[in-house]
Amino acid sequence: MSRPEQKKKLAIYTATGCRACEQGILDLNYEVNELGRFADPVFWPYVLGTPWEALSEGKVDVALFAGTIRTEADRQAALKLRESSELLVAVGACAAFGGLPGLANLADATEAKAGETTGSSSADGEGKPTLPRAEPQGLCLSQVVAVDYVVPGCPPTQNLLWAAVLALVCRGESPARLSYAAGRLPEAVAEAIAAGVLPRRGTTFAGEKAVCGSCSRIKEEKKFGICKRPYQEYQETGRCLLEQGLICQGVATQEGCGGICTGVGVPCRGCFGKAPAIFDPGAKMVGAISSTFDSKDAKEIAALVENFVDLAGTFYRYSLPSQCSLLATPDKG
Amino acid sequence: MSEFEPKIIAFLCNWCTYVAADAAGVSRFVQKPNVRAIRVNCSGMVDPSYIVKAFASGADGVLVGGCWPGDCHYISGNIKAMRRAPLLKKLLGEMGVEDLRFRLKWIAASEPSQYAKTINEMTEEIRKLGPFSRKKKSATRSVA
Amino acid sequence: MSKVTLDALRWQDQPAQATITVNGGPPQVYFQITAPREVAAMCQGRPVEELPRILSILSPAHHLCAAQALDRLFGVEPPPVAQNMREALRLALFFRDHLRKFYFLVTSLENPFADFWSQDAQRGPHGLRSLLDDLMRHVSLAQEAAIILGGRADHPVTAVAGGVSRSLKEEHHARLAEIAAACRSCAERLGGFLREQVFPQGKILGEIRGLEAGPLTSLTLAPEPDGLVLRGAGGGEAERFGAATLFDKVGLHQETWSYEPFAFLKAKGWQDLGKVPADSLFFVGPLARLNNGQPLATPLAEDERQRLVEALGPFPRFEVVAAYWALLVELLGSAEGLVALCEVEKLSGPVLRTIPKAVGKEGHAALESPRGLIYHHFRTDERGLVVEAQVLDTATANNGLFGILAQRAVEASLARKEPWEETKKRIELSLLAY
Repeated sequence: MSRPEQKKKLAIYTATGCRACEQGILDLNYEVNELGRFADPVFWPYVLGTPWEALSEGKVDVALFAGTIRTEADRQAALKLRESSELLVAVGACAAFGGLPGLANLADATEAKAGETTGSSSADGEGKPTLPRAEPQGLCLSQVVAVDYVVPGCPPTQNLLWAAVLALVCRGESPARLSYAAGRLPEAVAEAIAAGVLPRRGTTFAGEKAVCGSCSRIKEEKKFGICKRPYQEYQETGRCLLEQGLICQGVATQEGCGGICTGVGVPCRGCFGKAPAIFDPGAKMVGAISSTFDSKDAKEIAALVENFVDLAGTFYRYSLPSQCSLLATPDKG
Repeated sequence: MSEFEPKIIAFLCNWCTYVAADAAGVSRFVQKPNVRAIRVNCSGMVDPSYIVKAFASGADGVLVGGCWPGDCHYISGNIKAMRRAPLLKKLLGEMGVEDLRFRLKWIAASEPSQYAKTINEMTEEIRKLGPFSRKKKSATRSVA
Repeated sequence: MSKVTLDALRWQDQPAQATITVNGGPPQVYFQITAPREVAAMCQGRPVEELPRILSILSPAHHLCAAQALDRLFGVEPPPVAQNMREALRLALFFRDHLRKFYFLVTSLENPFADFWSQDAQRGPHGLRSLLDDLMRHVSLAQEAAIILGGRADHPVTAVAGGVSRSLKEEHHARLAEIAAACRSCAERLGGFLREQVFPQGKILGEIRGLEAGPLTSLTLAPEPDGLVLRGAGGGEAERFGAATLFDKVGLHQETWSYEPFAFLKAKGWQDLGKVPADSLFFVGPLARLNNGQPLATPLAEDERQRLVEALGPFPRFEVVAAYWALLVELLGSAEGLVALCEVEKLSGPVLRTIPKAVGKEGHAALESPRGLIYHHFRTDERGLVVEAQVLDTATANNGLFGILAQRAVEASLARKEPWEETKKRIELSLLAY
């Protein structure tokens, strides 16, 4: 294979979150295909320590942005990367929907303190550096700037991450197996990748249906009158977890992960965000769970509902800032 | 400034509560003008997301009116509505929607006075609560 | 007064920068974490059984620590298979984390993605490309082991109250054994390279080899269950105490210029970071663990530990090269441990979970994670909803150490009149070791 005329310029950044997404990209480089063949990571603070000034040397082709917008610095980073990139991709649940850091939006900050925190001891503020101001609440990337593509997941599964890189960075120039990426993608996206054209703007690199579509567990559509929590006894293999009385969000969550959590016996918590046809994941889960109640008696139902705890923190575990329609902030476009 | 006028969205079953609402008008019962009625075929088709969307779009209260248990035109639609309501109420409560703002009521076609009474009570109670602000809970937050 | 900010320090889990102010006298260095981590707020009000999944955002080892805290909270003892699976996951995470650090160390001098197409790069200016490929292939193998054991590698899901949620299949056992053996030989290969070209000489570690934060107290798990040891800077054991009382001994100090609090010993009280000796601070991590001077159970790791002592002197040690060497010792040890654990009979059995009978009120656990001791303490209401979640992460525990290391690195760099770029590299490399 000959050297591509012009390698694509890549920027990779994490705002407030963990490094799992960036490590996923690093792993792609060694496990799937070397990024250096077709891309030049010109901005990657985590691995290369690149300063922000590096962005002023011409436009970046693709920026992969992970992490929640939690501080003024995160907001500035989003604005800078939007301005200097052709395509801005929200990678991971944090950038895509607000993620776990966004869950703190539910809490009252005055009550939340870890350990025993003492105040700043010395009063001489002279010369001490400052911190980027915290935003009033955690936001996802699209609430701050327009986002071109989304790669969901906490962290994104490797095949979808690679699909995004393949589609947006290599544009079909890579000799790697296209089927690897295209296998679980919506047909339109898979075709675009194979043809080397950009998928439609706003495409989410995930499946089309709900996680239940790829979950291997047995569904029987039975009614039941129990509510279980995951510390209680249930079958780790076999029967559908929702039908066993556990809250499992597969039914409200976008497919693409392959049902990895339900596959190892733990319920889905929705890190891929809501499935496209769903208005609000919490409302969908209320409908899904209550439809299984095996009772016609208002008192019995009320008693059953008593057992459910922390619905908002569970249904919007990864998506509170953006997909909880009662608490969310509107998008920027 | 004029008094706060709550906006109430009412999802009314075509076979009972909607008829009752109609009859309440025809019978000239005094009713508060705060209700926007939406006719649905059955209280069982009011998905929780309709209610969440109503609140998200600025409603101060939501009423779902259906047939008494056993009287459903589709046999068990109202039972479905009954199963959903408590769980939905719990979720809404966690997000700062007070209990009184969302109600599920059984009102038969023959009970127009009951309909008017429900509407009037609900309007006054929500007026006391004040407007529903959808960011009440999160807007107060700041970081130390 | 002049002020320089070295932005985006490489390889830090949280966004970090170093700000240096010079005001006539010696430079003042601030190691800043620039984004908040609101785990307490994230956990508050959640069902306590969800915490292992939520807290894994700090690092995968927190998943295991939270699960152990749940065991205590619900008053259940996980069956042996579950304990072995959790321990195997912990070792796989050790291997992955340490190996990735060595990858970063080896690539510290150059951009590993630069100029892929040039002939030079194919050979590699230091002949390192094949080594890098080898390292990252084994990172991914350790990751695969973690996925088998934990469901996911970065945010594992399988450790639940009283055990684990999945059983292993025949093909899993075979694959785990294969991975463990591959990891062990990779660690040996890497050991050879490091002993020849990095630890004693070569420009990768260069001048920072002898850099140290000064003698420092260390905090590690005690050999007895649920106990912790504070080891004084001189090496002697200062204090043993039950893990439950950790936050009676350790306080958290908040500075206005960093989102990450600083852990300190309450007995000594908070002292400003510039103070010498820094006897109110302590540190955790591989070097802190080795500083107990005890022989290790596995042969390769013990041999390596002996080599370290021969080359550098007896424990306790505090210099950066010793910290890197400690990483290698633990890398070998974790691979050996994994080999020993990945036998069919240790990882299979009919019972995976002990089902809790009642909801408890309080639970805690301390665990040695790849980066050092971590600690969780949960308090719940009668329904098992979290009222308070106290977490000691390694970033908090080592925050003071990092501040001092950054200070020393800058001082050394300024004394040599190096450009800021070199100063930044010094800071990054010295922090990476811990």
